[in-house]
Amino acid sequence: MSNITEAGLATGYARAASRQPALVTGTDLLVIGAFVLVVLTMPWWLVLIAGYEALATKIVIWAIFALGFDILLGFTGYLSFGHAAFFGSAAYITGLSLKHLTSDIVPAMAISFAGLFVIALVIGVLTLRRSGIYFSILTLAFAEMAHALILSSTLQAWTGGDNGLTGLPTPTLLGSPMRGLTVFYFASAFLVAGFIAALVIRRSPFGLMLRAIKENPMRLEYTGVNVFAYKMSAFVISAMYAGIAGSLTVIYEPYVATEYIYWSTSGEVVIMSVIGGVGTLIGPILGAGFMLYFENVIQGFIGEQWKLVLGLIFVFMVIFLPGGFVDLARQIWRSLGHRIRARRYNVPDMAPEADEDRLRRRLDREEAEAR
Amino acid sequence: MTAMKTPILEVRGVSKSFGGLRALNDVNLTVQEGSIHAIIGPNGAGKSTLLNVLIGLIEADEGTITYAGERIRGLSPHTIIQKGIARVFQTPQIFPGLTLVENVAIAALAKRDGQFGLRILESLRPGHPVMAEAEEHLVDVGLAGHLRSEAQHLSRGDKRRLELALCLAARPRLLLLDEPTAGMSRHDTNSTIELLKHLSRKGMTKIVIEHDMHVVFSLSERITVLAQGTVIAEGAPQEVRGNPRVQEAYLGGAHT
Repeated sequence: MSNITEAGLATGYARAASRQPALVTGTDLLVIGAFVLVVLTMPWWLVLIAGYEALATKIVIWAIFALGFDILLGFTGYLSFGHAAFFGSAAYITGLSLKHLTSDIVPAMAISFAGLFVIALVIGVLTLRRSGIYFSILTLAFAEMAHALILSSTLQAWTGGDNGLTGLPTPTLLGSPMRGLTVFYFASAFLVAGFIAALVIRRSPFGLMLRAIKENPMRLEYTGVNVFAYKMSAFVISAMYAGIAGSLTVIYEPYVATEYIYWSTSGEVVIMSVIGGVGTLIGPILGAGFMLYFENVIQGFIGEQWKLVLGLIFVFMVIFLPGGFVDLARQIWRSLGHRIRARRYNVPDMAPEADEDRLRRRLDREEAEAR
Repeated sequence: MTAMKTPILEVRGVSKSFGGLRALNDVNLTVQEGSIHAIIGPNGAGKSTLLNVLIGLIEADEGTITYAGERIRGLSPHTIIQKGIARVFQTPQIFPGLTLVENVAIAALAKRDGQFGLRILESLRPGHPVMAEAEEHLVDVGLAGHLRSEAQHLSRGDKRRLELALCLAARPRLLLLDEPTAGMSRHDTNSTIELLKHLSRKGMTKIVIEHDMHVVFSLSERITVLAQGTVIAEGAPQEVRGNPRVQEAYLGGAHT
């Protein structure tokens, strides 16, 4: 600590006048470009691996859901077991708007968006007071209440009870009915926008505060930050992603199943996130793709016991690869890198230079002191 | 220290009980702006509890706490901290999975944006003013070595320095330090003392809890002695050192 001098401190903040870095770099543009390319060509390459066009739309919709889920779980560490409440509510609100008010998707989604914002605020205020397992159980309880409400005899006339919401018109976009690839591209636009937004959030001051909540909420509060307000924002943003996915499901298939608001839907998005890699943004998207591909394509090859196989894969992932697909890719990448370096220089990995420098400086200091 | 200076902090008649245990008993404390004020006392005397009460981590049962002319008892912790107080904890409280720069940047952002800000259209890459400022603070505490490694890999002493850098980035008027040199080598302890003295010359007020009498007597201008939740002595270091009640309660064994 010999560098603590009057001069050293006096020059502090001198560099603070530097300009802010750009929001998006060249590397970002490459990543986003690759993402857009892979997503937009999905209906074609999915067919090549025994999939079908409509499955691409379904994957895109669930990818939005899982991506939003990662903003809450991956950044703040809050595990919601009730995100079906948002997915389902949005689907019901969109469905009811289409049935009774307008067959155009834009106003229907706008109504669902506004309604969901209020729902997310209310559930957030009531559940975010607690953390950890208590938060998870509270969110589950609210989702189950929403499910019970949908099935209740009082609301049955509106919601269709056990049958789900049926008899919906095919939604229109600017007057033309939405079918096939139109639905796919409409959903993809939301996924791409949502992905870019999530990337920007992750590197922003707002995103840093969310990641700090996961690390040490107490330190954050005692650094003068309103932790509750940040948690609430993350919760609402995450719910809005789920809501968009819920609305899009109604376009994909003009029908609302009671299952959309059931706990199994919440569970599915949790599994997608874990399999893909929590907190990586791209991971949960991959997880969504994998789950739906497995359910709809691989299932046909395995037969009856496909759920058993899926369960085993999940268990295997949690035990051996808690970081999910993304972690697997990183490990492969790293071990390849190690092998190449070892072959080229024929030396074991060295300690990072900074650490070495630091150690040397410390030894020098201690030596000087001893003298 | 002249008597003309205004107190930045005034604690009057603060008491706090945990069940049957009276952790703080009618505590009074006046801290002058710009001074270094030590709080000493045996284990369990209520020193940390007092700091916790000041920042709203624990609410006092009775009494008033006035900071810069404003009553702060009962306010939420982040509101109190935003008024210009920072706290270094006994067990270093940092963000283990974030890099050193990110750790410190959080405090700098809390200073810049207040308790909440929906700042999304900004990218915290190297070169961002807040990141540059965070690096300066890390250099000040001697952690320039590995700015972009995760905080969890630091030694305990370095975690303490990181927490200090984090608190300094909030540019507080009043800094509360709970054993800031515990776990540090004698050399690092001395540099920390130098840093704290330097900051005081720049007008930052400090309250320090410390067991190391070397630190207490080389650093502080006033000392308050707590024992079993009660203030048993207060004064300049020399007065406190000579006080027989203090020697009996605390210094007796540790005085070297």
